[in-house]
Amino acid sequence: MSFTITCPVCGKRDLYEFRFGSEERGARPAEEGLTPEAYWDYVHRRTNASGPQREWWFHRDGCGTWFTVWRDTLTNREVIEPE
Amino acid sequence: MKRLPPSPTRRIDPERPIAFTYSGRAFSGFAGDSVASALYAGGVRIFSRSIKYHRPRGLYSLDGECSNCLVEIDGQPNLRAETTPLKQGMAVKPQNVLGSAEWDLWGLMDKLDWAMPAGFYYRAFHKPYDMWPFFLNRIRQAAGIGKLNPNWQGGSYDHLLLNAEVCVLGGGPAGLSAALAASAYGLRVVLLEARPWLGGFYDWRTREYVPGQPLNRRAAELTSEADGLENLRIFRNAPVSGLWGDNLVTACQIGRAEDAFEERYIEVRAKSVVVATGCIERPLIFENNDRPGVMQVGCAHRLGMTYGILPGKSAVFSVGHDLGLEAAADIADLGMKIHAVADHRMDGHEPTLVDALSERGIPFLAGWAASRSEGDKGVTGVVLSSLDGIERKRVGCQILVASAGMTPVTGPLAMTQAKLKYDRHTNFFLPERLPPRAHAAGRLLGYRDPTAIETSGRLAGLAAALDCDAPAQQAHRESAEALARGRGPARGSRLPVAPGIGAGNKSFVCFDEDATVKHIAQACQHGFDLPELAKRFTATGTGPGQGAIPGHNLSLLLSLFRGEEVDEILPTTVRPPLVPTLMATYAGPGHQIFKCTPLHEVQAEAGAIFRRVGVWKRARYFSEDLSSREEIGAVHENVGLIDVSTLGKFRLFGPDALQALERIFVGDMRRIPQDRVKYVAMCNDDGCLIDDGVIVRLGEEDYYFTTTTGRAGQTLEWFRYHARYEKWNYHLVNLTDAYGAVNLAGPKARALLDKLTDADLSNEAFPYLGFREITLEGRVKARVMRLGFVGELSYEIHVPASVTRFVWDLLLEAGQEFDLKPFGLEAQNVLRLEKGHTLIGQDTEIRVTLLDLGLGFLWHREKREARTVGAPALRFTEHQKNRLKLVGFRMEDPEETPGEGAIVVDESIRGHITSSRFSAALGQSIGLALVDEPLAVVGTELSIFQEGLKGRHLKSKVVDRPFYDPEGKRLRM
Repeated sequence: MSFTITCPVCGKRDLYEFRFGSEERGARPAEEGLTPEAYWDYVHRRTNASGPQREWWFHRDGCGTWFTVWRDTLTNREVIEPE
Repeated sequence: MKRLPPSPTRRIDPERPIAFTYSGRAFSGFAGDSVASALYAGGVRIFSRSIKYHRPRGLYSLDGECSNCLVEIDGQPNLRAETTPLKQGMAVKPQNVLGSAEWDLWGLMDKLDWAMPAGFYYRAFHKPYDMWPFFLNRIRQAAGIGKLNPNWQGGSYDHLLLNAEVCVLGGGPAGLSAALAASAYGLRVVLLEARPWLGGFYDWRTREYVPGQPLNRRAAELTSEADGLENLRIFRNAPVSGLWGDNLVTACQIGRAEDAFEERYIEVRAKSVVVATGCIERPLIFENNDRPGVMQVGCAHRLGMTYGILPGKSAVFSVGHDLGLEAAADIADLGMKIHAVADHRMDGHEPTLVDALSERGIPFLAGWAASRSEGDKGVTGVVLSSLDGIERKRVGCQILVASAGMTPVTGPLAMTQAKLKYDRHTNFFLPERLPPRAHAAGRLLGYRDPTAIETSGRLAGLAAALDCDAPAQQAHRESAEALARGRGPARGSRLPVAPGIGAGNKSFVCFDEDATVKHIAQACQHGFDLPELAKRFTATGTGPGQGAIPGHNLSLLLSLFRGEEVDEILPTTVRPPLVPTLMATYAGPGHQIFKCTPLHEVQAEAGAIFRRVGVWKRARYFSEDLSSREEIGAVHENVGLIDVSTLGKFRLFGPDALQALERIFVGDMRRIPQDRVKYVAMCNDDGCLIDDGVIVRLGEEDYYFTTTTGRAGQTLEWFRYHARYEKWNYHLVNLTDAYGAVNLAGPKARALLDKLTDADLSNEAFPYLGFREITLEGRVKARVMRLGFVGELSYEIHVPASVTRFVWDLLLEAGQEFDLKPFGLEAQNVLRLEKGHTLIGQDTEIRVTLLDLGLGFLWHREKREARTVGAPALRFTEHQKNRLKLVGFRMEDPEETPGEGAIVVDESIRGHITSSRFSAALGQSIGLALVDEPLAVVGTELSIFQEGLKGRHLKSKVVDRPFYDPEGKRLRM
């Protein structure tokens, strides 16, 4: 199974060229007052949305850029960012 | 058997005979034959035995839609005889037989059908539970198809990945028209056709298309037009295996004798697709409808017209569409006696075809159908019955040509999530709504008139062109109008089951799984009365044919049993691959792709034995002695040289380069002294050590660092990932392939290097962990670092890849007087183990942190800005109890070296050995182990379990690291 990802630099390309970088879950949490649970949550826990989700991709066999796209996990089609 | 005289539709070349064997007997066919047609011509009628009842099965469809004609060819099981082109010297064997297909000893299973109702395996064999393994083995022996040969050595398999604007599935009249229409706009078009030739069902037909022009000539006309186009790429023998998201089309092309591959995986990423896969025949279900000699209309017709084979001496037809009438007339003309043509349609027959039958004196029975075939291993007669079941007659014949109607090949459409709905006029499941950029055309929409088929193909091709922004608006409008004016979809038949079959004990719905009408009725009685449920309970449609034969009929039958209109019933889900394909095809050509260092050849000449390390080939040994004692000795006593070009090498520069370093590496990166090397390590978010290397400062905001061989490819990605929210301005350049590197190590390394440079190499001027840029031989600029990985005075020399070989030769020549020896990975492994250095991935694992490895001193906790990846995890686990710790150990008996992976035990498993070697320099067996924290105290005795010692444990003791030269004097010489 395979789909396409649209790289902001190189355009729409086959999935094979990219590496998945997990769903978007915000910048690193501040270390002050960080609990092991909260850190574990940040590092390992995923929402696994069924539907559109914002996620990171790396154009490994291309320009070497990390970027985010919105993908519908049910159809594997990229979708427009919701308002 | 002698073939029929030449005809315009014949596809075989009698001038080119092909010899092959079947069950060890010599056979011959001709170029153009499939394995099945050649076997049939050679007199083979029983091709296989069925999975459950071991009933004889013969040629049925000619397109490989069921398991009847699966054979073993050259040791490879489950190949479809009908779609496999005949090749010189093939060794063909029948499958699933004990004895021969003709005299199968399992055949008595057929008499036991009463004992095997639907869901039989699940219901009968689970009590008593303990007996299941016994039954399982018996069932597996009797059932199952084909036998895998574990020693089979594959032929060549290929992959082809294409991009195209338009991909057309199916090379019949609709597909060809679509491809031609789209190609006219200069778009890149790919056409995939399952059969060895284009033209679809025009190919073997001689009826007139327009006055004076037969259909087969029209096919040739379309084909030659298509073949001449440069922007239209055509693949024959390439059945589509899937149509995936975003219009990714996959097909598996079967190789012909002249192809360099046995099978080729084709993947086309298309902007728009046209599905013109046409129709296959829907089987007529009657008693003993699987008996050899019963075949579909297209099978009998094509045997005669395409392969020049008369299917038998005499035949009866029981059909439900005009193609059946046409075939009967054609086959009568070829010289076969047709005793009767039954057509279960009461009306709607093409009048000219009915006339053609009466001209030939063939009795025509409208409203009749075959209700049973008679015979043993082949048809000897047929009982025909009127639809109301009142009138019956028996007719003797050799061949029963039977087909209930047509059914569209909707697999690819179903995969695109197109909604299919039953249409009462065509009696097809038709696409109600198609996803964007997918179009359907031709016979699968119900069109039967050749002009309408081609117009619908053209319309779909133009719609696809529009998807690709071609200026096809005008042409598209005109085609749509032409299609609306022309003849619309034709009426189709919906009769699934012939009259008078009784319970249907031997009326097969699915040949692959031996599922009968009786089984479907039983499934309904048990409440499994929806297609998806009945399919699973009876296994109907789960065989190699992927539901092609039973799919449509299953829905019709269930509507019959449920007393509902078929519109209410959804077809079962179609799943890829749509056609059976070989695992070897997916595996592909199996190329061994690896990188060679600039020193690969010169090391090979010196006798190096290479091994794969990550993406590289690296020299492992330079002698037959696998313990590399001489190589190690050279480093300890004189001087050795190792190729370390595979190390990741990076330049990092820019105003925020330091921020990036602070984020990635655990140490204090603000302190990299001038002209000094700093050891660096990186952790993941869990605080696990994932990579290490060294870094030097080349200038202001300008750094050069190395990573381990395995991580080089991911480093850039890793840096950028962990800085993805930052707006840092830095550049990271991968110089891994641009630079080569060697490590010159041993007490005499300085004296050797001194010969090649004017630079001051004295211990005071260039101390341990120093970094200098020096010139070798007055020509080559080299970056040289004094490192201690192998435990002796050593210089790691980095030079551009283009001159690495020159430098290697230079060092070897200058080293002659010092007995310089090249050394490999194995020697390096022992040398680093003597120093107690960890190898990432060997001595580390996902559970152990930087602290567990005893490398906590590298961690700089007080970073104010860019916090290190994994620092929180290090903090949280710092005082955790009972973690695994890395320790060094020494064996009590130096002769005993435990295997890597051996476990440390007392009452329970307490850890494992990660590295171990005999060190000649120490006269000891030493190693590293990950053990429970309480054991990680110097002096603790470790007891090691190893297989094959009959319960005796090896004894060892935890000792301090490094094992060799603990004060590090030799590094600092």
